Amino acid sequence: MALTGRWHCDIVGVMDDKFFDNWTNQVRKGMLELCILNEIRGQRMYGYEIVRRLRKIDGLIISEGAIYPILSRLKRQGFVETSIQESAEGPARKYYELTKQGRQMVSRMNDYWRSISTVTDSIEKG
Amino acid sequence: MIALSKSARKSLDDYLRQARAYLRGSRTVDADEVEQNISEHIENALEGASEPVSCDELEAVLDKLGDPQQWVPEEELAWWRQLILRLQTGPEDWRLAYISFALFVAALVMASYTSTRVLVSLIFASFLASRAAISQTPDSKQLKAQKWLLYPPLIVVYGFMLGALLILPLLLLIPLAEQYETHFGRLQWELDYWFVAFSVMFAATGVWWGILALPVLIFGKKMTVLLRPFADAYRVKWPLVMLTIGLGVMIVSAIVGLVYYTYFT
Repeated sequence: MALTGRWHCDIVGVMDDKFFDNWTNQVRKGMLELCILNEIRGQRMYGYEIVRRLRKIDGLIISEGAIYPILSRLKRQGFVETSIQESAEGPARKYYELTKQGRQMVSRMNDYWRSISTVTDSIEKG
Repeated sequence: MIALSKSARKSLDDYLRQARAYLRGSRTVDADEVEQNISEHIENALEGASEPVSCDELEAVLDKLGDPQQWVPEEELAWWRQLILRLQTGPEDWRLAYISFALFVAALVMASYTSTRVLVSLIFASFLASRAAISQTPDSKQLKAQKWLLYPPLIVVYGFMLGALLILPLLLLIPLAEQYETHFGRLQWELDYWFVAFSVMFAATGVWWGILALPVLIFGKKMTVLLRPFADAYRVKWPLVMLTIGLGVMIVSAIVGLVYYTYFT
């Protein structure tokens, strides 16, 4: 009986982990875009610098390479623009900065996130 | 440009090739730009490392960059890339079915644009993929929905093979007609000639069916392997019916031909 109970707990535990992983993946996907846009909101940055800063946020980045397709997509959508600048320390760097459209978008996204966050907090507190 | 050891260079080239191949399938991302960014990232990450950079040092950077397949969500990929992904990651027993059906559809789509040789090759490849999938399944009843993907090429190939085998003597009419045209000039309807010729051909077909029925009767169970899964329900009565029909056709055709030849020509 005890053994069966333990198996049940193990299986439920694995299912819980899978559910949590799926959920965090979905949250992370949207959050990563928001964090990238917020990072370059105040100042222009090159790709590796963005990665280095976002790396500090625990659990946000699973694979660092995922940042670059997002930057490319944001550029295609007109939210960011790039400029190349020579660097004394190494290779020429491609800097990213927000466009006017990008600044408007990140403001909207931040507002939305704040309202969602407020609601989830109040639900959690009952 | 940072100097890499030979093995590190190879490792980097492989990684970039893999990334490029994967990102080319994305509708929302500029693959060349991302590749350039990745190269720049690696340069920055290896800054200060002793040169030539070893494979281990490079691998540590590539590990952090992650598998390119994780970079772009599946729904943002082109349809063909999604299809390849499904084939790579889908259930084992469905992959051959997808391949077989894709080849068959490709043959149909290209039918009017390509040569017969390409068409036959595609159909034959599709047929082999279907047969391989069926060989993996001990009981054809387990195929379920896969049947819709696996059966079309089998029906075409088996249908063509069986049809050609069964009417082989009738096909001899084609050279006969050509010979007739050579000897008697322009091909025209000569009732006497063609009536007797058809009788002979049908009689020959009857004999041929009788001949075909004999090996099926003797090696029946072994021969069903050739026609899987359609011959899985093989019964001994099948060749007996074929033999009977063959003999019947032969006797009727011979009688009709002889009577016509004797009394009407």
